[in-house]
Amino acid sequence: MAEAIIGFTTVFKSCLQTRRFEANPSSRLPKQHSSSTLFRRSGQVEESKRKRGCLHKVNGLGDWPLMAVLVETMEGQRDMLTTKSIVHLSDDAIKNVYSWYIMFTVWGCLFFGSMKDPYYDSETYRGDGGDGTGNWIYEKQEIMEAEAREALWREELIEEIEEKVGGLKELEEAGKKEELVK
Amino acid sequence: MAAMYNLVSNPKSLSSFLTNPPSIPCTNLTHVSFDQSQYCSSYSSITRTRPTRSSSSLFQSNAKKKKNPWLDPFDDGEDPDMEYGSLFADGKQEEDPRPPDDPDNPYGFLKFPAGYAVEIASLGLKVRGDVRRCCCVISGGVYENLLFFPTIQLLKDRYPGVQIDVLASERGKQTYEMNKNVRWANAYDPDDEWPEPAEYTDMLGVLRNRFYDMVLSTKLAGLGHAAFLFMTTARDKLSYVYPNVNAAGAGLLLTETFTPETLNLSDGGYYMYEQMNDWLGRPFRSVPRTPVPPLRVSLSKKVKEAVETKYTNAGAQKGKYIVIHGIQSDSKANMQSRGDHDSLLPIEVWADIAYEIREFTPVFVIPHEKERENVEEVVGEDASIVFITTPGQLAALINDSAGVIATNTAAIQLANARDKPSIALFCSEEKGKKFVPDAEEKKCTVISSKTGKLIDIDVEAVSNAMQTFNVSLALV
Repeated sequence: MAEAIIGFTTVFKSCLQTRRFEANPSSRLPKQHSSSTLFRRSGQVEESKRKRGCLHKVNGLGDWPLMAVLVETMEGQRDMLTTKSIVHLSDDAIKNVYSWYIMFTVWGCLFFGSMKDPYYDSETYRGDGGDGTGNWIYEKQEIMEAEAREALWREELIEEIEEKVGGLKELEEAGKKEELVK
Repeated sequence: MAAMYNLVSNPKSLSSFLTNPPSIPCTNLTHVSFDQSQYCSSYSSITRTRPTRSSSSLFQSNAKKKKNPWLDPFDDGEDPDMEYGSLFADGKQEEDPRPPDDPDNPYGFLKFPAGYAVEIASLGLKVRGDVRRCCCVISGGVYENLLFFPTIQLLKDRYPGVQIDVLASERGKQTYEMNKNVRWANAYDPDDEWPEPAEYTDMLGVLRNRFYDMVLSTKLAGLGHAAFLFMTTARDKLSYVYPNVNAAGAGLLLTETFTPETLNLSDGGYYMYEQMNDWLGRPFRSVPRTPVPPLRVSLSKKVKEAVETKYTNAGAQKGKYIVIHGIQSDSKANMQSRGDHDSLLPIEVWADIAYEIREFTPVFVIPHEKERENVEEVVGEDASIVFITTPGQLAALINDSAGVIATNTAAIQLANARDKPSIALFCSEEKGKKFVPDAEEKKCTVISSKTGKLIDIDVEAVSNAMQTFNVSLALV
């Protein structure tokens, strides 16, 4: 390993260049080749090995910011290439991640918490019926009152009928008595 | 106009020019123009009406309430050639408009009479003015709602089978516990100047969904309340309106308006809804005038039982106690009328009156629990005290009593409604006459204060009047 020559090249890729590259990925090589130090470098390294291949390198991870490429050269062996990259999230991205995290947590607490809430199985919630969606209101009080009034109406009706029937009976009895007297 | 000015310039020649000379000789411009316009209007109305109509009927129609031409510009009044009875249904509506089931039909169809067309069936009913669903929006508290009971009965008599719903304030709604003619009673305070928007729209939706034929309102309507009634999309919208400029615009949205004499409808006393009753019971084609029935309340068994336990616990026996109602308190359950603010007596005066009661137990009705201490302090620890806030329970209590002594509260009306003898204490004689008309028929003794203040009531007169209870007991 001591003989290993470690070439360490730090590559800074400017955002602008990357964007231009991404904007026209189909454009042919010459322009591209000079546009990015990264690709020139890696292209030069790899050119020796696979010349047949397309000179244009397609980066799998489009905007993967590459920090360093480590080349280990050993006698009688192939060069070992180690690429080091680092992901930097922008402030906006970090904010998004955290806000999603908070939102999910809050929703999760409410949702999964309410799944085991005894209140929703209690008489106060289920007492009047309902399907658990919350989109129902039964005006039980008013129905009860209306029914009470209907019952009142029936009671009065029955009383009236009884009075009439009683009057008729009295009349009938009076009639019978008269017959008996005769 | 030039000719008119010429006429005015030499007034002596005026009478010879006019075809129908005015009885009063005109000497100035205003008189001339007035007569001219009168003449023109009568002329145009004659040309519009049929020649068969006599001029007397024309004057009668003019004497009637003026129709609002904005409501229906094509409404030229009744068609005199219209035949009711054969072509269109006449008389009162049927209690149940559903045609009978056809027993021979295997599909369960109804037995339609010959010529019955479902599509236009409702048209005839509209011509007849059927009311199937009616909503009453009632302003005020218990007293005002209680006095509305005869109107509800009137509606029921005039339109058989009508379903009557009520919209009243929280307190007023409790009264309908005693009314068998009402279907739904909803709590919504029409007197609230600034209702919660959500509540307002919700109630509007509720009323809209019930598809009323008629909406009555006893709140004095301005444009706002009239708009509320209009938005219920009822066919007939009747309402009291302000007797002043606040009524501007309300008439456009209402089919019939009633204008009270004062801003406070309750000043009318027992007959506070007279105008409305008059209109509702009006004779219509072959239907004669519907009389306004007397105030009646009905009591359910449940309430009776609940009240019986209450007064038994208080140490009173059925038929052997006298209800005392109208103790001064700042409670909401005083059941006063809005037309009579001086209608509560402090407990000291009541104690004097109760002291005179010999053969019965006086039962003090307190509207709030905090009054219990005061009563016990003044009357004594063994006083019978019943805590009652709802008019239904009060009526049940009165129903089981031997009689009532009360100031001008709902208790007096309830006693009259249940045919119980009562002594009514009023601050003045006029109030007494207004709130308890035909007092003798109702077994009610009205005692009014000489000074116009209720506190100066003559306790001796009350004790003398108590003979009525003994008489009624003897009769029973």
